[in-house]
Amino acid sequence: MTPPLYIALRFLTHRKRALLLSLSGVVFGVAIFICTQAQTQGFTRYFIESNIGSNGALVVRSRFRPRYEPLMVAAKNSKESTGGRRLYFEGITNPNEIMRVSRQFPDVISCSPVLRGSVSARAGFENATVDLYGIDPALHARTTDILHQLIDGRFDDFRNNTSAIIIGSRLAELLQTSVGDTVQLLAPNGEYWRFNVAAIARAGIGSIDSTRIYSHAKVAQALLQQPSGASMIIYKLRDRNRAPVLASCFETLFQHDALSWQEREESTLQLFLTLRMSVAITTSLIILLAGFGIFNVLAMSVLAKIKEIAILRSMGYRRIDISWIFLWQGALIAAAGSLIGCLLGALMTWGMSRIPIHLRGLLYTNHFVVTWEWQHYAFATLLALLAVFIASYVPARRAAELAPVVTIRGSR
Amino acid sequence: MSAQVSLSCDRIERYLGEEEERVHALRGVSLEIETGSVHAVVGPSGCGKSSLLYILGLLDTPDAGHVSIESETVSHLSDDELALKRNKFIGFIFQFHFLMEDFTAQENVMIPMRKLGQLSDAQMRARAAELLDGVGLGDKLRRRSRHLSGGEQQRVAIARALANDPRVILADEPTGNLDTANSQRAFELLQKLVHERGKALLLATHNPVIAEACDWLHEMKDGRIITSHALAPENGRL
Repeated sequence: MTPPLYIALRFLTHRKRALLLSLSGVVFGVAIFICTQAQTQGFTRYFIESNIGSNGALVVRSRFRPRYEPLMVAAKNSKESTGGRRLYFEGITNPNEIMRVSRQFPDVISCSPVLRGSVSARAGFENATVDLYGIDPALHARTTDILHQLIDGRFDDFRNNTSAIIIGSRLAELLQTSVGDTVQLLAPNGEYWRFNVAAIARAGIGSIDSTRIYSHAKVAQALLQQPSGASMIIYKLRDRNRAPVLASCFETLFQHDALSWQEREESTLQLFLTLRMSVAITTSLIILLAGFGIFNVLAMSVLAKIKEIAILRSMGYRRIDISWIFLWQGALIAAAGSLIGCLLGALMTWGMSRIPIHLRGLLYTNHFVVTWEWQHYAFATLLALLAVFIASYVPARRAAELAPVVTIRGSR
Repeated sequence: MSAQVSLSCDRIERYLGEEEERVHALRGVSLEIETGSVHAVVGPSGCGKSSLLYILGLLDTPDAGHVSIESETVSHLSDDELALKRNKFIGFIFQFHFLMEDFTAQENVMIPMRKLGQLSDAQMRARAAELLDGVGLGDKLRRRSRHLSGGEQQRVAIARALANDPRVILADEPTGNLDTANSQRAFELLQKLVHERGKALLLATHNPVIAEACDWLHEMKDGRIITSHALAPENGRL
């Protein structure tokens, strides 16, 4: 142990009240930072998982071709480029071929064609506009989390019966239907088709659970009177963060519009990010306030220990040694505060995850959703170390600059 | 003076304060302190005794002249190098002992040793205990300095000044805050250490009895040493 560290430890432990005050600021700052980040990121991740679990990490949609306008010449310095203009053709005419080629990509785990359309649903006296997903049950089960989303009924009952449907949980509540009931879907020709509810699914996202019905693709194609076999193909990827790269690649390769989950959910993700940033800034202020507290404590300590500083200098301690005595005090507070703060943060996060809440809006959850990320702990610790270093640097420098002879003369 | 010179200064000038308050504290002071001798500096308050001690102790720098430790001029050294010299060669004793309040008597004595870094923790403890035993505080090693009496605190300060076995001990009115009995004990202790262990001691004092018991007496007035004379050996008893 270096002499400055030894003296710093002694100075700290002999001023218990000031130590506790400084320590508690760092502990609570770090703990609250970790806890709030775990919550906000927990909800964000829950949204992403649920969304990808239902809609895939990547979607290939309408075919397009570049709009050729050979007679148009862009003006010099014109910001508008004619190269990016496209003509879109709804639907995918050759989904099997696209899926066959897609599967060659190592990032692709599986893919599933979906025929999508909007229809009116009726059950008893209740009506609702629904988002009909015509799917291949086997492929869809491999590509999405639908098997895990079922809260009632059996997937096999849906797979083995072409007139069966899976209905979203909130839509089921709205239509007051349950497994085994009949739901009628209105075809564009005005004819009602009768379906049997085989299962009820809960994705956890309000917009999906309140509108979605899954049926067999062939049935959906007939009901919607769509010429194409699929309006989109959804993908399950090994690394979901590769979705934007793959989307760009698929667009070029297939000449179909391709959308990554990041682009698809951009507005919601930005909302979550803004919320997370806001909370991070607020809690960082707590840590900075703790830094101010430590600054005060150390500045007072320099004044209180002015005689001791002079003694140490007279005994051969250098200016840098004196600086280190106060920097060590800050570092010890930061280290102990961060460690206890991390433990308390983990405890608070665990406790928070046990608090029951009744969320039925954007997300469906019965308790706080949290994540356990080491980065939260590392960032909070780093922030605390930085704040405390800045807080202790000025008093440490001031202590080092004190001329011992002035103090000794003044004490006579 | 045929003995080896431990500490010397040559034509030291020192000004204190600024502008109208500027005082010429030391005016061309020269002094040599030999190994194994006790020197006393006497004079009225404000004559420059403490200023001379702080400059000789490398706590302050002169405006002119130079200080030498064992013939090596140290006036040009950096702040860090001066700190190292203080740690290794000089032991300070102040009037108000200046002990570290949060530390025990033993830990106070160990503080200069920790900085020097030549001994292990156990060796430092043993040496501190030995030094404290030498000043009659062997039974109060673990007592916090604030819980010691004034005389005991000054004895701890003496033990601390000897911690790194310095060649020179500088004492600024070491008995100024003690009663007659304790003053006598403290001085006798210092005198014994100097003669037995071959140290050099320079002390500033107002106490004529102590001054007369030293080997050399330097009288200061208005920043100058006006007289310096050796005292008879038989005077060296209080």
